[in-house]
Amino acid sequence: MMKYLVILLSDQSTSFCYYNSSDNIEENKLMPLETLRNAIKYAFMEDLFIQFVLPPFSLPKEYEDIITSTKASIIAPSSTSYKADVMVVDGFLELNNIEILKDVSYVLRTSKKDFFEHYEEITRRIVELSRLNIVLTDIEDFKEDDFILYKQILDEFACCVKDITLSGETIQLNILTDRLVENEMNNCNAGCKTITLAPDGQFYICPAFYYAKEQPVGNLENGLMIKNSHLYKLEYAPLCRECDAYQCKRCVYLNKRLTREVNTPSKEQCVVSHIERNASSFLLLSIREHIIFMPKTEIKEISYLDPFDNIKNK
Amino acid sequence: MDLIKKSLEEWQGGIAKSITFIVTKDCQLACKYCYLVGKNAKERMSWDVAKKAIDYILSHEDEFKEESVVWDFIGGEPFLEIDLIDKICDYLKMEMFRLNHHWFNSYRFSFSTNGLNYHCEEVQNFIKKNINHLSIGITIDGTKQKHDLNRVYKGNDERGSYDDVVRNIPLWLEQFPNSSTKVTISSDDIPYIKESVVHLMDLGIHEVNINCVFEDVWKENDDKLFEQQLLELADHIIDNDLYKENTCSFFTEFIGKPLDKETDNQNWCGAGKMLSIDAAGNFYPCTRFAQYSLRDKDAWIIGNIHTGINKNLLRPFLTLDRCTQSTQECIDCEIASGCAWCQGENYDAADTSTVYQRSTAICKMHKARVRANNYYWNKLYNKLSNLNAL
Ligand code: SF4
Ligand code: SF4
Ligand code: SF4
Repeated sequence: MMKYLVILLSDQSTSFCYYNSSDNIEENKLMPLETLRNAIKYAFMEDLFIQFVLPPFSLPKEYEDIITSTKASIIAPSSTSYKADVMVVDGFLELNNIEILKDVSYVLRTSKKDFFEHYEEITRRIVELSRLNIVLTDIEDFKEDDFILYKQILDEFACCVKDITLSGETIQLNILTDRLVENEMNNCNAGCKTITLAPDGQFYICPAFYYAKEQPVGNLENGLMIKNSHLYKLEYAPLCRECDAYQCKRCVYLNKRLTREVNTPSKEQCVVSHIERNASSFLLLSIREHIIFMPKTEIKEISYLDPFDNIKNK
Repeated sequence: MDLIKKSLEEWQGGIAKSITFIVTKDCQLACKYCYLVGKNAKERMSWDVAKKAIDYILSHEDEFKEESVVWDFIGGEPFLEIDLIDKICDYLKMEMFRLNHHWFNSYRFSFSTNGLNYHCEEVQNFIKKNINHLSIGITIDGTKQKHDLNRVYKGNDERGSYDDVVRNIPLWLEQFPNSSTKVTISSDDIPYIKESVVHLMDLGIHEVNINCVFEDVWKENDDKLFEQQLLELADHIIDNDLYKENTCSFFTEFIGKPLDKETDNQNWCGAGKMLSIDAAGNFYPCTRFAQYSLRDKDAWIIGNIHTGINKNLLRPFLTLDRCTQSTQECIDCEIASGCAWCQGENYDAADTSTVYQRSTAICKMHKARVRANNYYWNKLYNKLSNLNAL
């Protein structure tokens, strides 16, 4: 069942995820006010929680008035002065220049190259943050060497987070601590729990599908019409439904791009997520060497990084 | 005889990798039911493409771990390219030997041909050279009337090809005594099923593999007519003791039973475990995913001879199982076993670009087949128990 409605207020609404919103933009199109009002009405009627995604420029006053008077969460680029629930930081340069606010979640979008070069910036600023989501924007380009490096870096992060935890503070770092608190899949859920409304008034599986010029899946007038909608559900994803990398985004957009099927993940996504899963396990065990910590949580030792290998070997 | 049968089963049992060269998209015939929507005389495979494909495959032995290989040649009509095929096969043998490849001595060359130039010198020389590693299937639809209805020459006069094929059958059966033939049934073929199968058996073809097309072609009452034809065929085979020497794949003992969600959840179709290569050097999970076989969808290319296979694009095929692609009706179906599908047709007919939506156009035909199949086996057991109920 749908629970969330993501509203892209503009074609230039910031990307908070794996896709680039700047691709394929021909003009700066704001969502018409009428559409915005109807979208809110739709969300009320369908009992959906709204997430507004803002562009990197100030919105006209009428828009601001509507947004501030609607119960919703706001995702905004950190380059704006907007007080949002989620602030998106585009790369390490920006991370160095922003003033970090408490009670705000940050999304850091970075290429793997920048991440590998500058990850120490994260360890340096991590104590200031209450929550950081790291989004690697080119997972599809990970090669064997990158996997090794990624593991080393996450193990370093784990040592850092362990120290913070032992000092009595808490920190949420998606790629390391999310797996500790989940006991079932908690994925992006685009197309099954979350749907996106683009400035053109049409629904898309997620913003990435809009920018990639995929077919819309309905509109405000007629509602949602997702063909083969079951394929977005976990039960219909043969690899993911058996998997315990619960923190994995299970990105249906990357799936479609890399394997052609929304329910089938690429090797790169699976291996990256399993490196994170295993780093979470390492973190858990290293904290437990010192204190009793999350006694009910268990992350089993496994011999594979890509669940596909299990199916293949069957 | 048993030994040959067993080894054939092993060949077909999935331990062999099937690698198909689409050597040409041309054919002498213009069969009316041909699914190859994009057939043409231009796209012929060059030696350069074939060689690069072979070099890629043989140099990636760790990615092709199957014990044995079937090198399959299809078209259009593959024997139109006999010179190229001969060169490919010579090169394959040489390279498998030179590389000490695990497929050396564990390979077959396989052909589906319309049989028209089976007798010609080049084809015969090729057959003699490779006879111990060959399987050749010739397509005949049945009686002359039935065959000539569909399998006509290109051109305006629509001349039937029956006589030109049938004169090659004795030679074929002499060279390949245990040969089988493959017959595909579409809506218009239903009235001729019984006489066609009987005719093929009379010609000396003891194994008739026959199935309904997967496409959505069935008209109202086709299932009734189909069932009637199969009942008549069952009577004929049993009453005339033809079952002793012949098999017709419509009658198979273990079809028409429910399937377990867990233990019988495997995919039916081999797409993705096979590999097809076309004239442009593109790789496909099966020939049905090449553009010339698709009506409504874009080709599903999984790589090419220059960049190799993109394994991510194979993952959907290799993780596909029966239940994930089936409707609840099919999962709960009491007679599901033997109800087949073709991944390519599923893709072509799907509402979105997916192989995970099973097409069930064949449903009512399978149900009719199961009833006739039950009849066949019950009648046969009765007879073998010296009872003569019917
Ligand atoms: S499908 Fe989900 S995880 Fe993937 S890009 Fe879209 S919002 Fe992000
Ligand atoms: S790691 Fe792979 S199989 Fe597991 S949830 Fe993520 S995408 Fe699915
Ligand atoms: S297509 Fe029809 S006969 Fe075949 S499994 Fe589904 S319900 Fe049963």
